[in-house]
Amino acid sequence: MASEPPSSARKVVVHLRATGDAPILKQAKFKIAGTDKFAKVIDFLRRQLHRETLFVYVNSAFSPNPDELVIDLYTNFGFDGKLVVNYACSMAWG
Amino acid sequence: MVSSRADFDILTWDGTVSSSDFRVAALAFAEKWKRFNTTTLPRWSWVPCSKRPWIVAHETEGYLSLENVFLRGSSEEDQDESSQTGKEEPTCSGQDDAIDNAILVQSSGHEIHRYDFHIVYSSSYRVPVLFFRAYCSDGQPLVLDDIEKDLPANSAKVLTESKWTFITQEEHPHLNRPWYTLHPCGTSEWMKLLLVAAASRAKGGMAFEKYLVSWLSVVGQVIGLRIPIEMLCDSDEL
Repeated sequence: MASEPPSSARKVVVHLRATGDAPILKQAKFKIAGTDKFAKVIDFLRRQLHRETLFVYVNSAFSPNPDELVIDLYTNFGFDGKLVVNYACSMAWG
Repeated sequence: MVSSRADFDILTWDGTVSSSDFRVAALAFAEKWKRFNTTTLPRWSWVPCSKRPWIVAHETEGYLSLENVFLRGSSEEDQDESSQTGKEEPTCSGQDDAIDNAILVQSSGHEIHRYDFHIVYSSSYRVPVLFFRAYCSDGQPLVLDDIEKDLPANSAKVLTESKWTFITQEEHPHLNRPWYTLHPCGTSEWMKLLLVAAASRAKGGMAFEKYLVSWLSVVGQVIGLRIPIEMLCDSDEL
């Protein structure tokens, strides 16, 4: 316990889960520094999927702001040691 | 509390809400915002109104309003992430004389823009729709090109790509004046995505009370309005 690094320095396991028509990633789980912003997860998905408009959300029924820190999302919405992030390609504004 | 309707079938739900559900969601949302935003942004308030003034106002008609929000151009966004919502300006919290504050903060050298946001129910799409207007501290209204500069980088990009389907100017349904609005035709689709997983965890029940929190988590990103993470956490307990 005492040797654990401060929570913000921890790595977080992000599990990317495709929904709807979104393609499934070969590597669905990856580690990211807790101090990174959620924007990094979105960018990663965009690059992997070659899609500019993605709909990214977590199971607690909201779409995290890109400026949220990964560790804050994990602390509040993670379970089983990981943060599950869903993504869909069908995001449309009009 | 989850849902008052035991017969509600989440699997066939199309992501829309009725106008009375909207009102329930709106009041719950305003209450919750008050609990979590006492020091950062102004409060959302429910404005009851009737489109037909000669008829006694039906209780479900109205909209949510959040006015005098300070947004600053996205060029500063990278250096100071909180700048877009203006919440770092302690002078604009919890006070009614926000106009004077606008003059005060302007001395920092940035052009401060004030935004009014209304969440209006669309009976044709059966979803909430965001209406907004913006103006300079001297009261001069902003045109879309100026507003574009205040938006987070990603929205500005989408706006350029789909100019007429993303943000458009339309008549405010209750005020009969032109306001900017975010097109609602994709809304029910992503609301369904957002809420179905959460609702099936809650054993088939659906909390309309959290509909607007989920909705604003998406729409807020377009305009740079951030929901406190505590408010999102709490959404299961409402």
